[in-house]
Amino acid sequence: MTDIVVPKGLWDTQKTPEGIVANWFFADGGNVPEGATVAELMVEKSTFDIAAPNAGRLHIVVAKDGVVKPETVIGRIDGV
Amino acid sequence: MPSKSQFLWMYEVMEKARYYEDTIAVAYMEGKQPKFDIGAGPLPGEMHLAAGQEPCAAGVCVHLRADDTVTATHRPHHVAIAKGVDLNKMTAEIFGKKAGLAGGRGGHMHLLDPAVNFACSGIVAQGAGPAVGAALAAKLRGTDAVAVSYVGDGAANQGGFLESLNLAGLWKLPVIFVIEDNAWGISVPKAKSTAIADNSLRAAGYAMPGFHVADNDTLKLFDVAGDAVARARAGNGPTLIEVETYRYYGHFQGDPETYRPKGEVAALKAKDPIARFRKAMIDRKEVTAAEADAALARAKAAVDEAFVFARKAAYPAPEEALTHVFA
Amino acid sequence: MSSNRIMTVSRAISEAIAQEMRSDPNVFVMGEDIGAYGGIFGATSGLLGEFGDARVRDTPISETAFIGAGVGAAMAGMRPIVELMFVDFFGVCMDAIYNLAAKNIYFSGGNCKVPMVIMMATGGGYSDAGQHSQTLHATFAHLPGLKVVAPSNAYDAKGLMTAAIRDDGPVIFMFHKGLQGLAWMASPEGAATELPEESYALPFGEAKILRPGKDITIVAISMMVHHALEAANALARDGIDAEVIDLRTLVPLDRKTVIKSVAKTGRLVVVDEDYKSFGLTAEIITSVAEENPSYFKSPPRRLAVPDVPIPYSRPMEQFVLPDAADIAAAVRASLGKAA
Repeated sequence: MTDIVVPKGLWDTQKTPEGIVANWFFADGGNVPEGATVAELMVEKSTFDIAAPNAGRLHIVVAKDGVVKPETVIGRIDGV
Repeated sequence: MPSKSQFLWMYEVMEKARYYEDTIAVAYMEGKQPKFDIGAGPLPGEMHLAAGQEPCAAGVCVHLRADDTVTATHRPHHVAIAKGVDLNKMTAEIFGKKAGLAGGRGGHMHLLDPAVNFACSGIVAQGAGPAVGAALAAKLRGTDAVAVSYVGDGAANQGGFLESLNLAGLWKLPVIFVIEDNAWGISVPKAKSTAIADNSLRAAGYAMPGFHVADNDTLKLFDVAGDAVARARAGNGPTLIEVETYRYYGHFQGDPETYRPKGEVAALKAKDPIARFRKAMIDRKEVTAAEADAALARAKAAVDEAFVFARKAAYPAPEEALTHVFA
Repeated sequence: MSSNRIMTVSRAISEAIAQEMRSDPNVFVMGEDIGAYGGIFGATSGLLGEFGDARVRDTPISETAFIGAGVGAAMAGMRPIVELMFVDFFGVCMDAIYNLAAKNIYFSGGNCKVPMVIMMATGGGYSDAGQHSQTLHATFAHLPGLKVVAPSNAYDAKGLMTAAIRDDGPVIFMFHKGLQGLAWMASPEGAATELPEESYALPFGEAKILRPGKDITIVAISMMVHHALEAANALARDGIDAEVIDLRTLVPLDRKTVIKSVAKTGRLVVVDEDYKSFGLTAEIITSVAEENPSYFKSPPRRLAVPDVPIPYSRPMEQFVLPDAADIAAAVRASLGKAA
């Protein structure tokens, strides 16, 4: 199982401590290819694409509209 | 050179506009955190703030009367304040309240106050034609009222603006065109939108004088605008002024501004035009620091009062959407 | 090749454009803030990075010039996609659209082609006031020579955009801001869909029955489709079985599917986010009435913005825009049931 993690230093947390998961692009339990954009985060109005670190089955940990900070685990991939 | 009362007036107007925009910026984010939903909170929708552009409003409007007409853009608050729009009603309008200028029908981009002949609208360059029309009305009526059309650097490339310049020049109308060049048309810098660097040069093509005011210089604009207004009142026709100004915030609130070079805003803030103006007027001994502080306090108090008024005011009934479509 | 990617409408649009740009060097994109910004509503995201600024061009705020230029480039053999940022901005450049793009094929007796897509953001509901919230379906559908498409979801958006780019005439591609799936503007659940990776085109003039039903026909397009589906779900709990039709394209208009549906159900509610009078809702009702007015067991009903500018203040704006509750109430009234 690999974690899908919000990268550290992705945004200036001094200015805005939290963001949200704006969109998931695969269903919970769906198969994702390595490198595919799996989710979109939004901090204020900036958006960031998050890629799948490897291929496998997606398990969503933080659902859409859920709050995130850097290093939050938003999902996991079961690399079977 | 401004008189003492003009110095103080311009200073107070600029501080009022700055504090207004900064106050709106904070209020705008209510209900929009942690998830930025543009339709949420007490100030939903788009919001275009003019912090940094205050000289453009103060340096021109100081020469205007209530019967002079001003048309402005989707970034109107500083100009509305300088023109003397009722601040309570303007703020209530921005909050969508029944006590607003239009009972909440228009919102922040559509502020109209006939008492001081101010109107703004949301389509780029749209105000140029109406300003020409107000100038035409003054000429037909034989008054010495003038009109001012505020547009942005992006509007300088819009057909309607160029047509308005020609019509004003052709009919020798008492209208002053003020281009607030804040260097950005949303994400596109002026160098990538405009074939020449200095729009004041376009004036020659439209039979009017053109002036370029560099680096947000309120005093320089005061002189240039004063001449332009005098020229218009004397029946000697239109003027084009381009002011190089600063946009501290994004194009709209929430603009991620990824297109903007890092450090640009900080560099602009380091030479803040209001701070420069205050220093100039105190250094010249036109105004004392105490008088300036009193003006600043008045400015903030007026804004605070307007926000209290607006927040307390009631929303319109939904059915009021159906009224005032026709005269 | 199926995919289980769930894509937003904005990403579906930019993917369709990217795929056509890869396969046809004549396709290029112009408009305001469509380059580095990726389009104010995300429709051209990623294109500048992949194709460069010769084919993905930010323009000055000069709509008449660049839409006119789009017509000229199209007639010279290119396939421009021109973004008119908000549909409300059509006012400054309508001549190039309705008098040139729309008519040059006709004026040339078919000897000239104008393979141009003009895409624009429509819709309100988020307090952007009267000059930034309009939908204007009828304004464009009414004028001869323009094809007009308005997808309600990502799957349709990609297929219709692909078809629009391949069409040899001008196509008005209207995407609703509230359907784009932008992080900063709420969108309904059904807007983002599974999206095939491969390129595909959907035919114009084919409406889709999203929910078959026997009691009443609800016809909608764009955002209103989602309100119609929400209403149908609520009505089903009360034993009312509504058929929901997504028109997908206004020109060409699939009148046949609507007529066939009303022949079956006998009742019709049409809902449109555009202004009411002289528009889409009237066109649909008339199309059925012309065919056979006795199909109607009760008078047809229509919901649209009541001929006023879109107000800024939230309670007023919500009042004028039709929603699921309004649609359900109209259905119940048609069936003679209590609201």
